[in-house]
Amino acid sequence: MLINSLSFLAFFAIVVVVYFAPVVQRNSLRQNLWLLLASYVFYGLADWRMVPLLLGATVVFYGLGAAVKRMMNHERWKAASRLTTLAAALGIALLLYFKYLDFFGQSFATMLAAMGFQVSWTTLHILVPVGVSFFTFKLISYVVEIHRERIEPTHDFVQFATYIAFFPTIMSGPIDRPGKFLPQLQRQHSFDEPLALDGCRQVLWGVFTKMCVADNLALLTGSVWGMPADFPASRLLVAALLFPLQMYADFAGYSDMAIGVAKVLGFRVERNFNHPYLARNVAEYWRRWHMSLTSWITDYVFMPLNISMRNWGRWGTIIAVMVNLIVIGLWHGANWTYAVFGLYHALLFIPLVFSGSFGRNRKLKPSAHGLPKGSDFLKMLGTYCLVAIGLLIFQAPSLSRLWEYIAALFRPSLFTLPPLGLPWFTYVGLAMLVACEWLCRNREHPLQFLHGPAARSRAVRWGIYYALILCIFFFQGETQQFIYFQF
Amino acid sequence: MNEEILNALTEIFRDIFDNEDIVATPALCADDVEEWDSLSHIQLVVAIEKHWHIKFTAREIMKWQNVGEMAQGIADKIA
Repeated sequence: MLINSLSFLAFFAIVVVVYFAPVVQRNSLRQNLWLLLASYVFYGLADWRMVPLLLGATVVFYGLGAAVKRMMNHERWKAASRLTTLAAALGIALLLYFKYLDFFGQSFATMLAAMGFQVSWTTLHILVPVGVSFFTFKLISYVVEIHRERIEPTHDFVQFATYIAFFPTIMSGPIDRPGKFLPQLQRQHSFDEPLALDGCRQVLWGVFTKMCVADNLALLTGSVWGMPADFPASRLLVAALLFPLQMYADFAGYSDMAIGVAKVLGFRVERNFNHPYLARNVAEYWRRWHMSLTSWITDYVFMPLNISMRNWGRWGTIIAVMVNLIVIGLWHGANWTYAVFGLYHALLFIPLVFSGSFGRNRKLKPSAHGLPKGSDFLKMLGTYCLVAIGLLIFQAPSLSRLWEYIAALFRPSLFTLPPLGLPWFTYVGLAMLVACEWLCRNREHPLQFLHGPAARSRAVRWGIYYALILCIFFFQGETQQFIYFQF
Repeated sequence: MNEEILNALTEIFRDIFDNEDIVATPALCADDVEEWDSLSHIQLVVAIEKHWHIKFTAREIMKWQNVGEMAQGIADKIA
């Protein structure tokens, strides 16, 4: 059930009505039980065969969290550390089995064959559970946070299971941290009208960017990977340059919908994007892109590594960054292209670490005309191009196809007018998206009207809502699966 | 909270963040200081360990949520 489908709208309407019904709203346990049931139904509709796995993993990690705390209470620090390591290893094993076993088996067999050994690997065709990369990270962080004494384990299994399976975010995140999310499940939720309305606006913007921008752009970027040489080089170049915007409209659109849906239920979930294409270098880009994943990996991979290598100076940081970004790359799936994608970004970090531009960047200040300053704009453009090259690696089906694509780019047809074949509204949608990125850079989403005519006039606000709804009805592209659902 | 530790931390913070306005108070945390990111956090730890000739474990470092907890960690080590 796609989050932007009518069936989801019907499902969500039932969830909301029951969730805020007086008899359910009376206490948090009833509300959580209802949310848990709804989340498992939602997950089961995606793939009912994986429900036992989700439930089983939830039970095991709930027990592990309690056991780690018990050992810490008895000052058995080493045993607590060992159990936390076991929890992390279990989570990683879960991911390795479902997502990477075939990949590593096949790669190992190929490597041995290249060395002259006769080895064959029979592909196991393991069914990958929906959202496994997302809920596994939540499971691991719960136990690690208890061990770091940042949270207390919850004694309410329903709360924990609801945190793990929370339906707006289980498929593609954002990856919520237990320290922020569990306390929200501990209190009873009454309907919060301002928050719910803000959530509806965020959902509207998410649906617009997904259906009117990303789905239309997919016409251009999806087809070129079959046989790149069959397309004029100029079209390949435009597809490569527009893919970052398609990916953003798709994934940020999904995140806006998930965050907005959670707001209607009275929950605040992690922000996932902070205008990534306003970044002036790659380090800043990673602080603005898929923030719930990057901050997770920074906390649990980069920081421990960098701390252990803290006396190696900048080289320690570079090694930690390399591992960090390769892990981020491979998190997306079992393909060498993802590892190369991570490595590519890691290499872009090296000059930043040496020049001292790795850290936080100064705030963006507009020029006197309200536009980005020339130097900032050039840096944004340069970063965008570097990101586009990275995403070319990311979306390639294989390294050999990537090479074909790059070779096909350098042909005389690069200097011809590209036949794009996109509906005209795609360009309008793109222009709106890019303009909103800059103009609404201090807001969580563009429909948060803080000042200006839309903030003052209800008619202007509703005009904007209706215009977006009409655009969705008349200019939506052919429905595409969310890019991040495959991860 | 040990005043001496906070004063020394203020000096270290000013040096690492290159910001003369920073004052290390127990409630201060990374969200309050624009320059305080994961990289400068590591630089802070190295400077603190060098200043007091102490060594923290990764778990101790990851546990700190504000300057107060950091200062308490230092106080425990030098006690």
